[in-house]
Amino acid sequence: MAEAALSSVAKPAAQGDSREKVLRRFELGDQAFHVLTKTCAIAVLLLLGGVIFSLIHGSIPALQKFGFGFLTSQAWNPVTENFGAAPAIYGTLVTSIIALAIAVPLGLGIAVFLTELCPYTLRRPIGIAVELLAGIPSIIYGIWGMFILAPFLQEHVQPAIIATFANVPLLNQLFSGPPYGIGIATAGLILSIMILPLISSISRDVFETVPTVLKESAFGIGCTRWEVIRNIVAPYTGVGLVGGIMLALGRALGETMAVTFVIGNAHKIAPSILGPGTTISATIANEFTEADGAIYTSSLITLGLLLFIITFIVLSISRLLLMRIESQGAR
Amino acid sequence: MTNVLTQEAPASRDQLAQKMSVKNLDFFYGETRALKSVSVPLYANQATAFIGPSGCGKSTLLRVLNRMYSLYPRQRAEGEVLLDGENILNPKQDINALRARVGMVFQKPTPFPMSIYDNIAFGVRLYEKLGKADMDERVEKALRGAAIWDEVKDKLNASGLSLSGGQQQRLCIARTVAIQPEVILFDEPCSALDPISTAKVEELIDEMRRDYTIAIVTHNMQQAVRVSQYTAFMYLGEMVEFDDTDKIFTAPKERRTQDYITGRFG
Repeated sequence: MAEAALSSVAKPAAQGDSREKVLRRFELGDQAFHVLTKTCAIAVLLLLGGVIFSLIHGSIPALQKFGFGFLTSQAWNPVTENFGAAPAIYGTLVTSIIALAIAVPLGLGIAVFLTELCPYTLRRPIGIAVELLAGIPSIIYGIWGMFILAPFLQEHVQPAIIATFANVPLLNQLFSGPPYGIGIATAGLILSIMILPLISSISRDVFETVPTVLKESAFGIGCTRWEVIRNIVAPYTGVGLVGGIMLALGRALGETMAVTFVIGNAHKIAPSILGPGTTISATIANEFTEADGAIYTSSLITLGLLLFIITFIVLSISRLLLMRIESQGAR
Repeated sequence: MTNVLTQEAPASRDQLAQKMSVKNLDFFYGETRALKSVSVPLYANQATAFIGPSGCGKSTLLRVLNRMYSLYPRQRAEGEVLLDGENILNPKQDINALRARVGMVFQKPTPFPMSIYDNIAFGVRLYEKLGKADMDERVEKALRGAAIWDEVKDKLNASGLSLSGGQQQRLCIARTVAIQPEVILFDEPCSALDPISTAKVEELIDEMRRDYTIAIVTHNMQQAVRVSQYTAFMYLGEMVEFDDTDKIFTAPKERRTQDYITGRFG
């Protein structure tokens, strides 16, 4: 035994040269790998920089002509080449807020049910169904929204809503006007269906990170399911939930195809959320092919830059929130 | 740890009240039978240790005593587990109320994601509406009871997660004590702790015996000797031997017990 150990030590010493060669080759491979991965990382930065640069460069003509008034102007006139972004920004934000308002409670509900309450046999089918929802291409949501959902809302839901709130101050403004079917509210609804799987699957994954013993010790002092979810699972997962919701918001802000179908494409800010409107991405998708003038094209690129900035702000806020919650946890 | 020597001889078993009593208990994970007709008493104000190799069913037995298994589908228990004469396996048993009477401390420290103060107050609030002063008093009493008050009294608002492992475990004990249970179950409470914290927790368990009935699962046989008056040796889901701790470790009746405590297997 001892002899064998000795010889296995002695052997490489005798073949020192070949071992050195092998080591050199390893080192070469290491360096190549280092350079390769570094290049990839730098490429991301370059790409991002390139996108920012071309967005800014492309938007200079429009910004020179309209200045900051571009942000607040409701004008959108290709003939006189007078453009403003306010309706698109408004539509983007409002549709996303509606989507979150619907999808967050639903998604959290689904996630809580799946992780904490669902009978074992139902868990997989429901989980798979939710994930399939995420796999549907957005164009299909668009078609479905336009041909099925919008007419349904127009005939059955919107008239009832308008009638219900007709005499309530403020709300009658929010839900007024003829029931078009398509419009801001419908776009928000479609968006909520689209981001629902994202929210529920992320929050389900996040809920599953809660250690079983932690939950058991809460049950162990006599907590009910609700008390465990409310007092243990929710605070433990706060960080991840905010992250998931922000991701979903990012998707809702940029979603193009489905929204373009059902938003109505009207460049105006209507007080009623039932009325047609537009979003940044819907405007760009609709009009890029017909944008002939330099200012027209530049205005659309400026819209793109705005969307980029809005998304950037959302992500920054989510980061800030995450950092704050994390530092709370570490305290 | 010197208390082994000074410990009074266990009272004669006939005179002791049985706080809990397990009778012919079978337990199933799906089709697998994890406990085979187990019977064992937990004497009031005594500590009973459960020893045996991994997978012998000690933790499973503990999880039956406060119905923790009921959280999971496909796990079921058959037989009788009496707490003060009432069968807790009865489907009509209020599980939350049971868990308030039968507290549990886990293998790993599991402070809740909240402040030290709230870690204690949270459980109390579930059952009682206390004013600020009363609650402060209860929290202090619980923390003192778990011998951790002096270490945390200046930072009650800090997160429970900021404590060291041993402190977290004592915080969890304090949390369990705060809701004033009658029985406390310890599931290998020291396996994640360093020797000094282990000594503190063991000392604590020994003191707690005055107020509570204690069941402790442990892999550490010295620990069983140090903290318990009675020991149950389990093997492959069966209760092999139950006796005074002294007898189990000095003169076991069963061959398998003898083999296990002398380190021949397990």
